[in-house]
Amino acid sequence: MLVVDDVAFGYDERTQVLDAISFTVAPGEIVAIVGRNGAGKSTLLRLLNGILQPRRGRIVVDGCTTSSTPVHVLARHIGTVFQAPEEQMFHANVRDEIAFGVKQLGITGQALAERVDETLERIGLPSAGAIHPLDLGAADRRFVALGSVLAMRPPILLLDEPQRGLDRGALDRLESIVAEQARSGGSALVVCHDMDFVARCATRVVAVAAGRVAGDRPTLDFFSDPALARGAGVEVPDTIALSYALDLPPALTPEAFVTSWMRATG
Amino acid sequence: MIAVDDLVFRYPYATQPVLDGVTIAFEAGERVAILGANGSGKTTFARFLAGLLPDGALRAERGSVRMDGRPWPSWSIAERSAAVQFVGQVPAQQLSGCAFTVYDEIAFGPCNLALPEAEVRARVDEALTVCNLRHLVARDPFTLSGGEQQRLSIGAALAMKPRVLVLDEPTSNLDPESRDAFIAQLDALPAGLTVIVFEVALRPAMALASRFVLFERGRIAIDGSAHDVLTDPRCVTTLGTTAVARAAAGVRAAGGWPGQHPTPLTITEGSAAFAELRRAGG
Repeated sequence: MLVVDDVAFGYDERTQVLDAISFTVAPGEIVAIVGRNGAGKSTLLRLLNGILQPRRGRIVVDGCTTSSTPVHVLARHIGTVFQAPEEQMFHANVRDEIAFGVKQLGITGQALAERVDETLERIGLPSAGAIHPLDLGAADRRFVALGSVLAMRPPILLLDEPQRGLDRGALDRLESIVAEQARSGGSALVVCHDMDFVARCATRVVAVAAGRVAGDRPTLDFFSDPALARGAGVEVPDTIALSYALDLPPALTPEAFVTSWMRATG
Repeated sequence: MIAVDDLVFRYPYATQPVLDGVTIAFEAGERVAILGANGSGKTTFARFLAGLLPDGALRAERGSVRMDGRPWPSWSIAERSAAVQFVGQVPAQQLSGCAFTVYDEIAFGPCNLALPEAEVRARVDEALTVCNLRHLVARDPFTLSGGEQQRLSIGAALAMKPRVLVLDEPTSNLDPESRDAFIAQLDALPAGLTVIVFEVALRPAMALASRFVLFERGRIAIDGSAHDVLTDPRCVTTLGTTAVARAAAGVRAAGGWPGQHPTPLTITEGSAAFAELRRAGG
C-alpha cells in the first residue's frame, strides 16, 4: 500500500513544483501518472522512493514513512526504473548487473543465482547472462535495467516512461511484466505520455497539473471525461476519440471498440 | 541532396553488418520517417546520415553518404554543423555542459560559428518560440524535466539553421501540446528544411512525415506513403499498427467490414470510414 498525503515539494525556496498531492495505491493496481512536461511527474517518483523529501505532508510506503526511513531500506519496498535506464549500467555482464541489487538485500549463493535466472527468464533474456550490457541493443538494455529492479521483488514498482522507444515485441514483454506485477499482489506506478499504452496497461489514471492532482479515476472513467484529459494536457486514446466521433460509448482499446461497434450495428 | 549509396557497416567484432547495403536519397524539404524494430540499425544509420559516422576506426565497409555530392568526411566540422544537425534519444546527453541557462545553451552553437551577436540573438529567439521554451529561458538546463530537455536539444539544433535535421525519436517524451506546437512551428519554418525522423512509435511519425521508410535488419524494406508502409504485414508484425487500424481489423475479422475497403490509420480516416459503413448498412 502506498499513501501520499497532502505532499508539497520545491527544489528551492522560491518555487513549488508540487502543491498538494494526495492519492493512494492499493496492491493489484497499475496507476498511470500523466501530465505535461515539467508538471512534476518524475519529481513525484523521487519523492515516493525517498530520494527527495516532501516540504509538507507525508508519504507512507508499505508502512514505512519516507521521511524517517533510509533510502536503502525503502528500496526493499519500492523499486525505481528511471528515464533512460539503459544509460545507467555499470557491470561487465548482464548477470552481475541484475545480481547487484539482490546482493544488497543480503541474498547470496544459490538463492542469488536462482533469483537472477528467474529474472532473466522474466525479462525475456534467458541466455543473455554472460553478455556485456553495452553489447545489447537499447531495448534489451532497458529490460536489463528493469530486471535489476524486478530481481529485488519490490511490492511497488515505479517506472518512468518505460515504453519509450520500444517496438511491438518489446512492448508486449513490458506489458506482461507490468501485468504480472499486479497479478502477484504488487502494484506499479507508470509515468507515461503514450495514452494507448496507458489504455492497455493502467487500471487507474492520476493526472498531475499545476502541482495538484487534477484527476484520479479508473482509466475508462478518466478518458470518458474529455475536459479532464484536456485540462491535464493529455490526449485521449485513439479508440476513445474514434468512439466519440461515431457517437458510440467510449472504448478504451481496439477490442472494446470492436465489441461496441458490432453491438451498435447489430 | 543527401544520397546514400550501398552503405555497409559492421561494428568491430560483430558477425553481422548492422547496415547491409542501404541505398536511398532525400530531397530538400522532405519530411521522412524511418521506422524500424529495436536493433534494426536505425540509430547507426541516423549517425551516418548526420555525418557523425564514420569516426576513427568506425568506417563503412562499402558505400558512402554524400551531401551535395560530397562525402561527409570531406566536410569541415563547421560546414557540416551548419548543414545537418542530429538530436539523439537521451536529452541529457545532448547538453553542452557549459551553459548555465537555457538561453546560453541555445546560443552555444551559433556562437561557435562566430556569427554576429545580433544574428545569434535572433536565432535563439526563434528557437525559444519553435520549441516552447520561452518561460524556461533563465533555467539551468540540468534542472529541466526530460521532456523540457528534449525540446531544448531540438531548439539548440534548430539555432544552427541546418538544411537537414536528423531526429532520433524526437517527440516520444513530449506532451501532446508541446509536440503539436513543435510540428506546427516546423511547418512554419522555411520550406527547404529536410526533416528525417527515426521512430518506433507510429503516432508521432504520422504527425510529422509524408514519406515513410521501413528499415529491417540493416536494409530498406519499404519506401512509400503512410499506407504503403503502415499497412504492410512486415511493419504490422514488428511495430504493430495504429489503434484505429486495429479496430478496423477487428471489425473485419468479426465480419462487419465488407469487401475491399482500405484500412483506416488515423482518427480522421477511421471516423469517415466507419460513418460510411454505417450509412451503407443502414
